[in-house]
Amino acid sequence: MRFVSELSKGIIKENPIFVIVLGLCPTLAVSTSVNNAIGMGAAATFVLLCSNVIISLIKNVTPAKIRIPVYIVVIAAFVTVVDMMMAAYVPDLHKSLGLFIPLIVVNCIILGRAEAFASKNNLLNSLADGIGMGLGFTLSLVVVASIRELLGNGSWFGMRVLPSTYNPMLMAILAPGAFITLGFLMALMNMLKEKK
Amino acid sequence: MKFFLRLGLILLAFCAIATALLAFVNSITQPRIELLKAEQERQARASLLPGVEFERVAQNVPGADSLIYYIGRAADTKEIKGYTFTAAKVGYSSTVKTMAAVDSEFKLLAIKVIEQAETPGLGANATAPTFTDQFKGLAPDQILVDKDGGQIKSLTGATITSRAIANSLTEQITAVRLDAEQRLTAPGNEEVTP
Repeated sequence: MRFVSELSKGIIKENPIFVIVLGLCPTLAVSTSVNNAIGMGAAATFVLLCSNVIISLIKNVTPAKIRIPVYIVVIAAFVTVVDMMMAAYVPDLHKSLGLFIPLIVVNCIILGRAEAFASKNNLLNSLADGIGMGLGFTLSLVVVASIRELLGNGSWFGMRVLPSTYNPMLMAILAPGAFITLGFLMALMNMLKEKK
Repeated sequence: MKFFLRLGLILLAFCAIATALLAFVNSITQPRIELLKAEQERQARASLLPGVEFERVAQNVPGADSLIYYIGRAADTKEIKGYTFTAAKVGYSSTVKTMAAVDSEFKLLAIKVIEQAETPGLGANATAPTFTDQFKGLAPDQILVDKDGGQIKSLTGATITSRAIANSLTEQITAVRLDAEQRLTAPGNEEVTP
């Protein structure tokens, strides 16, 4: 049963973006379109999953003093793998995510989960945590991106939703729009939580 | 001392494993990435200057990257129809690379922004046809954005990106023109790779 709860906690209860508030840099940067959000979410989930598994496996052979450099090496290796794979097999997505793929290395969610969870828990739970946190991250990105793409571009997932007479709210696509959207969503999450 | 040596060696071991993994993945993906890139450039060239045979020209420029461009000739008469080349300049947040085709009079036929990481919603709109179509038919001295006295309407809130594209094109056309005209008047002393 522990497996399921470790998996589901990342989605709402310990959502990495809205509750733990980690990894805001990529959230702000790539949530301009739903397409990018899903690509970024999938790439980050893959890295999170692999690094959680490996770090859980090596936790007994890693001296505490050098654990952070070791984690970074593991994470950076997987990110580079994702980067090269995406460039070779999904070049369009790779192009639109551009700089943000290498930046997954310093995404605090991944190092955060390595330090706070995978280094203290067994393989199976770390796997569940990785999937759950990855899904939570992806879903949050999609929610933020949906709002921003709709307001700032009048489309969703690249499809035009609002009529072409709609004058796009440019600010929603720019960085301030990301902060404002995120703020409103967090307030909403907290409101729902207090009601319970 | 021994303790620190041990830490160093453990870290070294992790790095060695990671490097081996990356070398392996790279050996799989590298040829594919190269292939994709070459294919993309070939397609871009063909779409900008359709129906011609391309000849690659590489000219060494002292103190800079070598000048590379393609001469497009009609398949039957071998008459020069135009040239394609890539122009690049730093925009607002990235280097904007544009592929362009000019006719034999060095007037722009079409341009295509092939690489950029400008601000989404502003500078990144440079890839849209509404922007790039404005460059069609312009002579080298007309490639100026409206703020610099030209006719090209800059992208809203992204004059820097628009200007980078316009200026990079002007510079590259000048360089290509110089080289191409030299080749026409003095054939023989050139380094042409098919």
